Amino acid sequence: MIPRIPGILFLLLLIPGAAAGEKEKPLPKDLPPYGELKPFQAPQVAAQQLANGLTLWLVPRPGYPKVAFALAARGGMVADPRDRPGLAQLLADTIDQGTKTRAARQIAEDLQGAGGDLSASAGYESIVVSTSVLSDQAAAGLTVLADVAQNATFPDSEVTLAKRNAADRLQQQEADPFFLAGRALGKAVFGSHPYAVTSLTQDSIAKATAEELRSEYARRFRPDQAILVVVGDFNAAKMAASVESLLGKWAAPSTPPVAMVEKPTSPVPHFVFVVDRPDSVQTTLALGAIGPTQSSPDYAATEVANAIYGGMFGSRLTLNIREDKGYTYSPGSGLAVRRTAALFQTWAPVQNAVTGAALNEIAYELNRMATTSPSPDELVHAQTYLVGNHAIDLQAQDSVARSLARLWALGLPPEELGLESARISKVTIKDVEEAGAKYFPAARHTVVAVGVEKVIKDQLAPFGLELKPAP
Amino acid sequence: MNLWVSLVVLACWLGWADSANGAGGWKVPAVMKKLPNGLVVVVSEDHSAPTFGLCIAYGIGFRLEPEGRTGFAHLFEHMMFEGTPNAPKGTFDRVVEGGGGSINGDTRFDFTEYIDTAPVSALDPTLWLEADRMKTLDFSPANLENQRKVVEEEVRVNVLNQPYGFFYAIDLPGKAFDKFPNSHNFYGEFKDLDAAKIQDVEAFFNHYYAPNNAVLAIAGDVKPEEVFAQVENHFGSLAPREVPPKPDITEAPQTAERRFSQQDKLARVPALAIGYRMPPRRSRDAVTGALVGELLHNGQASLLYQALVKDKKVALEVNGGVNFVFGTPFEFDGPTLLTSFLVYPPDLKENDVLSAYDAVLSDLATRGPSPAALERISAKMRSDWYANLEIPVSRASILAHATLFDGNPDRVNEIPEELERVAPQEVRAFAGKYLVKANRTVIDRVPAPAAGSKNAAGEEGAH
Repeated sequence: MIPRIPGILFLLLLIPGAAAGEKEKPLPKDLPPYGELKPFQAPQVAAQQLANGLTLWLVPRPGYPKVAFALAARGGMVADPRDRPGLAQLLADTIDQGTKTRAARQIAEDLQGAGGDLSASAGYESIVVSTSVLSDQAAAGLTVLADVAQNATFPDSEVTLAKRNAADRLQQQEADPFFLAGRALGKAVFGSHPYAVTSLTQDSIAKATAEELRSEYARRFRPDQAILVVVGDFNAAKMAASVESLLGKWAAPSTPPVAMVEKPTSPVPHFVFVVDRPDSVQTTLALGAIGPTQSSPDYAATEVANAIYGGMFGSRLTLNIREDKGYTYSPGSGLAVRRTAALFQTWAPVQNAVTGAALNEIAYELNRMATTSPSPDELVHAQTYLVGNHAIDLQAQDSVARSLARLWALGLPPEELGLESARISKVTIKDVEEAGAKYFPAARHTVVAVGVEKVIKDQLAPFGLELKPAP
Repeated sequence: MNLWVSLVVLACWLGWADSANGAGGWKVPAVMKKLPNGLVVVVSEDHSAPTFGLCIAYGIGFRLEPEGRTGFAHLFEHMMFEGTPNAPKGTFDRVVEGGGGSINGDTRFDFTEYIDTAPVSALDPTLWLEADRMKTLDFSPANLENQRKVVEEEVRVNVLNQPYGFFYAIDLPGKAFDKFPNSHNFYGEFKDLDAAKIQDVEAFFNHYYAPNNAVLAIAGDVKPEEVFAQVENHFGSLAPREVPPKPDITEAPQTAERRFSQQDKLARVPALAIGYRMPPRRSRDAVTGALVGELLHNGQASLLYQALVKDKKVALEVNGGVNFVFGTPFEFDGPTLLTSFLVYPPDLKENDVLSAYDAVLSDLATRGPSPAALERISAKMRSDWYANLEIPVSRASILAHATLFDGNPDRVNEIPEELERVAPQEVRAFAGKYLVKANRTVIDRVPAPAAGSKNAAGEEGAH
């Protein structure tokens, strides 16, 4: 029942789909034309460094009366000990549960009174602690954030409670098909590389201790390996002085900083990984392959290719499997960019009965990007979409703060916020063809299917791919 | 509490007392004009970026969809993206996305909204497209069939294939209210979605999608007079139509607690949903209710988080508020609930959680909140409310809803002040009057025993 020629039949079995949306119809004759596109002003970042090594990026924007703070420390999930996958998530969960002078409740209440919440999240490269407060309460927001960054104590009782809740929450997450698909895809694409980790495990939760969190916090939270981004309605000189007074005495240890993670290399064998989820009424399909980093010369062209393929509502994938065939409500694709690699993903939750047909169309659209040229209209459409929506995203303070903290963690300068759009505007048809040929062939992509095992096996049998239980 | 004293001292020390712009009293501009055909237009000028956000909110939501057609208002919303005789399917997203923007739509209890945001260079064609689909649609059976499938997949992905299946938003109102408009499954029973015909689409359009049943709000890099002229140009020729009168949707008062239990085949951790019926939105009590909902649920400083997650350790997560998951506590126009959604540890029972929960509510009803707690939550709500008004697309949406429900876009500037005026004794009185057992519905949702075990029967019971 299970053929043994992975990858090859995956290509041969392609049945050209309806190719919906390929020929662009003329626009309505009365439709007014676009006006002249006004240039976008990328946020202007004043970058500086404190004597203790803390990087400070300030984006003063008068008007909207709030201030967003994001403090990132190098050392996210890639820095976790090998036998504690996801520990950075537990560290983020507990970092705001007490400092030398504030109990957890006071941290939450001080920030609420300033109009904010503390949010702490662990990515691969960094842990980001952020808040957004009313501008006349910015001092209160910064005071609490600075306290958490320097003086977190990880009280035993709070860690015990956080561990129990994390264990129960993991059990709850394991009921979610998207969580299961993401976890399996990470392992399938990245193997033993730290980018494979997407969550805590019951084992890492059980073994983690408050002492361990304290020492990991001391190792990762140090001014010479951290950045504070501040965006919003404030006076830059006064903000810089406040940062100096609240974070200037933070001392960097002499121990070596967290090491960078190596580039993942292993090309993955082309299997379908099946996650059995009894009683599923859909199969959650997720495909993934290694993609370019943001500093790669391929990046802009791959973003454009992705927009054409599955990154916007008018993309080929959406027009095909949603607007033409009705297989799914929410198909999509995107690049999850990390420092040394990206995960290029496609996802589509589809009704059980069309699991095979939907996978066939996804493979068809991937291969169409890999082997054919986009039309000039498609290219301009995707470029304008990406540049315009990038500017629209950067209207929100929180979004600017998060984007800048993310760029820093990727090792990129703040100017990248504007450069990215400039590069996208210069992408040519040939660039898209090359990115398509390099990253899109369906045979490069690993498939994860979460749903009823028997349904998936029956539906995917014709593909001739080896079906394996998820890693 | 000396929090406020310490912050004032700190602010002076840091030299911030003269911060660039005080947060109190920030207002967004809003100019309103009504076209002769009844279309209300609101413009909020903001030149901080060369973009616009646009929202057309129609005064019809899933509450008033026809019996036997559950889920229809939402299915209809999908048909608004399926083209017109002038602009065939695909034109809308091609023009707006190709102009650097994006489109969306959503259906709630009392409105359906269509949202576009893009660089301002795309405003005129976007207005043309919105006016075009207010004139008529491509009433195509093939497109209806396509979108029926898409919507059924939406129901599967968000409800049927998810643990908890939105029971706090679908089942809870279903048990808490008695009239069809307030209690039916708004996402739609498949038999009803399957029964929908193209004639239903046409009739629904003719009844409700009239210019005099809509508010068009635009925020961003625009000048009101120029926008009014553009709107007049594109929408002015549309004729007003008679919109069906709103039926009586008021509920007979609830007199006894309603308790239910459900089994969930997909969930692995139990959860509780609790819903209290709220006063009508146009009342002083409604403002207090909005505040109480946040006092109980907003973030780690909230009363329920502190009591249930931290002190008594009987919940993993606490979520909720008035009009929970359907928008802010000000975006509805009919019977609604203050909802709590609590996920609790598998080794506990419903009553372990409920008794801790009841203690919080009875404390609120007897002692009321501390003035400090009230100040904190009104600062947080002001801050959250401003966040709704920050970027053009969400500002347009909030302005459109306020205008649709209250006829006054400036209402968005009044809400933070109204919240700030709520007094501790009002909260206490509110809790004593509304947060009582006789006014609530409780659903306990527990993981179903694994397939094959002896107890794997019985989807639902009442007790």
